[in-house]
Amino acid sequence: MAPARVSLMRRHWIVLAAAAALLVGLDTGLPHVLNAYYLTILTRIGVAVLAAVSLQLVNGFTGQFSIGHAGFMAVGAYVSAALSVYLGAGWLVALTALLPAPLARACYFPIPLVAGGLAAALAGLAVGIPALRLRGDYLAIATLGFGEIIRIAILNVDAVGGARGFSLTSAAQPAADLRYDGLGAIYAVVALSVLVIARLVYSAGGLAFRAVREDETAAESVGVATTRVKVEAFVVSSFFAGVAGALFAHSEGYVHTNSFAFLRSFEIVVFVVLGGLGSISGAILAAAVLTAAPEVLRGLGEWRMILYSLLLIVTMILRPQGLMGQREFPIGRWLGTRPRQPHAAA
Amino acid sequence: MPLLEIHGLTVRFGGLTAVSSLDFSVEAGALVALIGPNGAGKTTAFNVITGIYAPSSGSVRFDHQEIGGVSPHRICTHGIARTFQNIRLFRSLSALDNVRAALSGARRSGLLDVVRGPAWTAREQALEERARQLLTRLGLERLADAKADSLPYGEQRRLEIARALATEPRLLLLDEPAAGMNPSEKEALRSLVARLRQEFGVSIVLIDHDVAFVMNLCDRISVLDHGEKIAEGPPDAVRRDPKVIEAYLGSDAESA
Repeated sequence: MAPARVSLMRRHWIVLAAAAALLVGLDTGLPHVLNAYYLTILTRIGVAVLAAVSLQLVNGFTGQFSIGHAGFMAVGAYVSAALSVYLGAGWLVALTALLPAPLARACYFPIPLVAGGLAAALAGLAVGIPALRLRGDYLAIATLGFGEIIRIAILNVDAVGGARGFSLTSAAQPAADLRYDGLGAIYAVVALSVLVIARLVYSAGGLAFRAVREDETAAESVGVATTRVKVEAFVVSSFFAGVAGALFAHSEGYVHTNSFAFLRSFEIVVFVVLGGLGSISGAILAAAVLTAAPEVLRGLGEWRMILYSLLLIVTMILRPQGLMGQREFPIGRWLGTRPRQPHAAA
Repeated sequence: MPLLEIHGLTVRFGGLTAVSSLDFSVEAGALVALIGPNGAGKTTAFNVITGIYAPSSGSVRFDHQEIGGVSPHRICTHGIARTFQNIRLFRSLSALDNVRAALSGARRSGLLDVVRGPAWTAREQALEERARQLLTRLGLERLADAKADSLPYGEQRRLEIARALATEPRLLLLDEPAAGMNPSEKEALRSLVARLRQEFGVSIVLIDHDVAFVMNLCDRISVLDHGEKIAEGPPDAVRRDPKVIEAYLGSDAESA
């Protein structure tokens, strides 16, 4: 047993080192290979994947139906952007004076991401505690309402640009470049977040999420504190939605509440359902494909959105359980998640 | 001092009194049956003991502690587990995961577990081993990876019992475990229930309306009708009780 585990550990480090090399390579090399259009699409895929996987925790694994996810992204985006503009710009300038520029930026940018995540998690806690007492449709309506309230509230805060949108440039420190669009770093954040969610779900403790989804009464009867588990799922999910929002804000360099309207929430729900409720792999796949699809279909002109909708309808007819059902790509053992697929009894 | 002691329990739903000043107790190690016709209040009593309903009045004491109105998951940690009349498994999870989810050790996890340290690995392995042991003891080891809702009916019932036992209960409540079973399945269940009491050292209360099923199995039978306890005692005495015959057994009494 012991040698096997050692070699598993060693493999982990090899994988980690390879991933790090790949990401640094992506960060520095990709801009030479692809133009800004493709880079932007790839960035948005990263953000969409994180948004989808984080919502999967609530909708797919815990079985609650939240359709206000863009609201939490908005909290993360705006809080991180405001932090960067009003405080972070100074820190970044100070750090750059001490360290080489790339290192200084690498040290700074995790700060707004975590701050955005924490702010969204706090919002998730505030919304989750009352809203998760509701079930099904009522929870959906409550989360929808929250998403809209956040959007309208931000729209009326002048310090973050109100209806003009909010540009990530600091008046006090015009030299500080607050945009961060290194693809390698963005994907590293997304990958790490997805890994955390996957490990949270695929463990004996994480079974509580799925137990709540399957049958709340039965889950309670075996000692699962269902309300607490639901709030936990909601808070963790909001945290990563906030990180996704912060990534979005800093990669685009500009945020506007229109990016977080109901349609955005709805899009994330589509990723999750189309990918397969209860599959992290499915959420990744659907988020990537459906973010790229409108661009790939751009050549079709005005037929584009019709084809996009048809794609959704046909997929749901052919695979009502979603692309992946509740399955995962077979890389679980590697990532320390070991999801086991149940099969039908013979 | 009995393990479970219910005193003057009344449960009202609006104008309907489902259970009316019920006294009921279970000694440690006992195997007792709660029988009665449909709508007698048996399941309601279970639902109060397991915290799904709060009592309208009266007290429910388990191991010296009042548990009336306590939330279900807390009651589970006190040491009461149950099965459901209409099977409630985690349907799309494997049999193994159904049991794993119920293990009390699985609750002791936190956010830090996302760092898969050696302690996590050891605990996870111990939990899986324990879950497999339970499946084996209930004869389900070959079905560990099968999806719960794909199991045959009898196995689903057994899996629900395995899941309840995973919480390490001192009192196990079985709500009509024999419902829908044929005579040979019932016979197997009867020996299983007797075995559970000995091997796991749990006290068991089981609900049924089939008198023959509980007759040779239980130490004591309580009979409910219209929310009230109309008889209680050893099986033979209960079977001969004229009130029971009138309210419940009817003309079948002689053949039962």
